Amino acid sequence: MTPTPSDLPEAAKRRLSQGAFTSGLSVSDFAACLEMGLEPLGLVQGFCAMQWTTFGSFGRGVTPFAGSSSGYVENYQCPHGMISSEHRMWGQNYEQTWIENSWRDGFNSAYSRMLEEAGTLGAHGVVGLIDSEGPLSDVGVVEFHLSGTAVRVLDAPAPHHVWSTYLAGQRLAKIFEAGYAPVSVVSSVASVRVLSSCITEYLMGGTGAMWSVNAETTEIEQIVSAQNESRAIARSFVRAQLHGDALHGASMTGLTREFAQGDLEIQSRLSGNRIRRFKDFDPLTAPRPTVRLS
Amino acid sequence: MSNPTNDLPQATEHRLEELEKGLFTSDLSVNEFLLIKEVGFHPVGFVMGSSIYHTGIQTRKWSQSQELTKLTEAMYNARELAMNRMEEEAAELGADGVVGVRLDVNYYEWGKDAAEFIAVGTAVKAEDGVSRLNQLGKPFTSDLSGQDFWTLRQTGYMPQGLVMGTCVYHIAHRGIGQTLGTTGQNVELPNFTQALYEARELAMTRMQDEAARLGASGIVGVRLEEKSHQWGSHTIEFLALGTAVTKTSEEMTLAKPTTIISLDN
Repeated sequence: MTPTPSDLPEAAKRRLSQGAFTSGLSVSDFAACLEMGLEPLGLVQGFCAMQWTTFGSFGRGVTPFAGSSSGYVENYQCPHGMISSEHRMWGQNYEQTWIENSWRDGFNSAYSRMLEEAGTLGAHGVVGLIDSEGPLSDVGVVEFHLSGTAVRVLDAPAPHHVWSTYLAGQRLAKIFEAGYAPVSVVSSVASVRVLSSCITEYLMGGTGAMWSVNAETTEIEQIVSAQNESRAIARSFVRAQLHGDALHGASMTGLTREFAQGDLEIQSRLSGNRIRRFKDFDPLTAPRPTVRLS
Repeated sequence: MSNPTNDLPQATEHRLEELEKGLFTSDLSVNEFLLIKEVGFHPVGFVMGSSIYHTGIQTRKWSQSQELTKLTEAMYNARELAMNRMEEEAAELGADGVVGVRLDVNYYEWGKDAAEFIAVGTAVKAEDGVSRLNQLGKPFTSDLSGQDFWTLRQTGYMPQGLVMGTCVYHIAHRGIGQTLGTTGQNVELPNFTQALYEARELAMTRMQDEAARLGASGIVGVRLEEKSHQWGSHTIEFLALGTAVTKTSEEMTLAKPTTIISLDN
């Protein structure tokens, strides 16, 4: 099953050919859609199950010189000299480009299938998009799942392409009111592996003072650097998807996995809505201050 | 206790008799209660239905993705029984519908392969005396909150029934050849994708079929849930749930939204 047109399962085509609309929107968002002139057509979804391995570059972790040089790499040398075979002589942060590429493949396959379902319904866009990824029953398999509600703009000509947005309801209405239209969702993941240096390991274990490292509470340079780099990489991926449009409602989430002592993966995920101005700035009505009684 | 009507326990009938005298019970919040009254309905009682069901087992092939039709049927029937009993209680009270329906599944230590399916909600009756029973002549059901019910009514739609579709699916294990062939690669597994896609679409199609039987024009608030229950990680139940609605009025009385700044959190 490749992310090309017509790779939808038979059951999907059968469901989409039925008449009644389905909508994953809450009733408030559904009402707001009708108010905006968007007619819900159906709940659309896309999936992709990916085999997943975190080991993508032979020799990484054995020596600081192994592996591909593409992407971010930063080495850390031990300042103490040879102490014992258990003492780490070097540490390294490196970007796991194969993880980033695989994540992009999985997300894009599920996304294109969802848009294909929306296109089958003759939709102009997909609102209230929800994405998730998680392990499937087999070890080492990750499932990407995207769903949203396909909508048609009332009295509008047939669409050239299907737009998408995480927004729905009043948040989408405010975007339109401010003169912007949704283009697509954008999302990316950056992955940095941390093989701790001796100092990082001791600081993380709370035993830094034994090795003449600052005993006070202090920042752990290697981890901070990995965090900063992974966020910067995620931002650069999203910037490349914007093609000059604006980003709205961005959210950055972080995930840290520990594979073994001193062996971490730091992931940053940035998602948001690519939007484009379609009319001049028109100041919104002055908001009314309110206090809720509940 | 099987499906036919009037199979309610004696304690239930006694409780419902008290409710028929005018006292009402409900799990609605104060705000929900006021909004339900605002759209011309009055709560008449808290209703429930329950079914303890032996779901049994079904053999599955190690290397084949397939729907486990017996388990699908069991999960479907058990929920239907619970829902029917809840509707029966509502009908006993002369209600037009049930709002805020919750469907739960509980497992107990004393019952291997058995589960209790429970449906609860608040029965409501139209204050103008006009029947709002659905196309099947039963009280409408809906998992909408009081607020959502009010909002939906402002858009000219009326709930017809809580509709659901389920599919219990066994996802094939990978063979040694398949596993070795992709060792060390991050690639799509088309069989897995296809199996999951098929299972979810089947659940959603069945939900849409139920809505069609109610003569609904659409389904709002669709939720897709996944649970392995007690079958192991490769057997998953996909459940699609939503409220089937029909357009009863072209008039849309929803106030135009106003931009606000909240002065509390």
